[in-house]
Amino acid sequence: MKMNRRGFMKACGVVAGYAMLGVNMTKEAVAASMDFVGLRQKSVYATDADSKIYKYRKSQNNPMVKKIYDHKDGFLHEGPCGHMSHHLLHTHYVDRSARVNALKAKGYKFKI
Amino acid sequence: MKKIEGVMTQTNAPSGVDPDSIFFVQVDATKCEACGTCEEVCATGAIQSINEDGIRQVVDPAACMNCGQCLVNCPFGAIYEGVSYVDEIFEKLKDPDTVVVSMPAPAVRYGLGECFGAPTGTYVGGKMHAALRQLGFDYIWDNEFTADVTIMEEGTELIQRVKEQGKKDARPLPQFTSCCPGWIKFAETFYPDLLPNLSSCKSPIGMLGPLAKTYGAHETHTPAKKIYTVSIMPCIAKKYEGMRAEMADSGFRDIDATIDTRELAYMIKTAGINFNSLPSQAPDAVLGDSTGAATIFGNSGGVMEAALRLAYEVLSGKTLKDPDIKVVRTHEGINAADVKVPGFGTVKVAVASGLSNAAKLCEEVRAGKSPYHFIEIMSCPGGCVNGGGQPLDPEIRASLFRNTVAQINKRFRARRVTA
Repeated sequence: MKMNRRGFMKACGVVAGYAMLGVNMTKEAVAASMDFVGLRQKSVYATDADSKIYKYRKSQNNPMVKKIYDHKDGFLHEGPCGHMSHHLLHTHYVDRSARVNALKAKGYKFKI
Repeated sequence: MKKIEGVMTQTNAPSGVDPDSIFFVQVDATKCEACGTCEEVCATGAIQSINEDGIRQVVDPAACMNCGQCLVNCPFGAIYEGVSYVDEIFEKLKDPDTVVVSMPAPAVRYGLGECFGAPTGTYVGGKMHAALRQLGFDYIWDNEFTADVTIMEEGTELIQRVKEQGKKDARPLPQFTSCCPGWIKFAETFYPDLLPNLSSCKSPIGMLGPLAKTYGAHETHTPAKKIYTVSIMPCIAKKYEGMRAEMADSGFRDIDATIDTRELAYMIKTAGINFNSLPSQAPDAVLGDSTGAATIFGNSGGVMEAALRLAYEVLSGKTLKDPDIKVVRTHEGINAADVKVPGFGTVKVAVASGLSNAAKLCEEVRAGKSPYHFIEIMSCPGGCVNGGGQPLDPEIRASLFRNTVAQINKRFRARRVTA
């Protein structure tokens, strides 16, 4: 194969481009395929299924959950959604729309 | 300002302040390159252009859900955190009269290792508990324990709601999950008419705070007023949640301080602890033991899967042989599934990852056209593992190409304006 002037210039351009951006772009491509968030998610499911780390996989089987809800002397002896649960573990919500509506009335634009 | 794992952070530990008035994240205008990435990833549009140069700011805290996706996605490190309890926690750890307890979220243990050189997503739960002990925390409790409690409460509530349909004063379906503080503020701000659909359950940390100062105080024979609870989260919005006025059901502030995964890494490094050489340790059992159902809370679809592992057994009276319910596992977007439960029928569920997807499901519910029993919402795409308080993806700031293009664009626009 003979390299003509045009071909040489093109090759130079490609080499220069790779020199400037190549390393970084390759890294990006690797990152995209490995997927940062996907790696963390995968590790979570692997740990859930690892009986050396978690002996049980269902909340209702947790011995300390059984202890706290124990009908006789558990701290939450009335069971889930009982009186003590309602006092400590449940809540209520507040309508917070007024401030954003006031901003909208002033001319601010939001996505929702 | 401190630099904490690559993120500028204000030393500001507010107490008794209305969290609605705080900018938990804000743009440093001197570092903003006007690339617009933050505005793209913001579901509400709270972060927007404030001048002709395209410099972005969070325009008002009322419109910001504190999810921090802008911060973790900014290629220039121009977005800083407005609240940090790190210094206060160091003081409390030194004080012999204060009993400091740690309450780390599931997702923290899948991100923390990255700050010490481990590959992305490495599970470091055992080392994390060991590090907390070395830092001087008096009790090593675990938010995963109350993730299991949340399933008991929220699963029971769902079953109650399903059974009471058609009766007078029945609570509406679908039931929305209530673990994610960005989502809760979002519903309160943009869909207040749907608040009756939200589970009345607090989040796992909302439950562990008051349990620590009641049940935990009792179990450890510690006066509740001496207990200082530290919530350790993959999340910035949890700082807002910890400061909510109503989070005081124990008779004290339920949650005294909230830090994120990056701040925990900073504390471990500042204390000179060699994280990688630590042994694997268990938390203190009574408020520390947990199951696989708790650890999957960190993924989008995880709360749903954990709740179904309970609901299946309660509704059918049978044992669920294979706990993997893979149809609800969600990487991004909206995921809907029908789950067949013997003796009950079909449980219809949906999972939304990201608040713009949540808005779509909210519109359906508002129109009375939602076919679901149960909907899980997470503000951050992929779930808490990708939370705004997690260690940064090194690729985002390493992207020389994107940075260069944005910088050129900014110069170009600046010239055009002055010309």
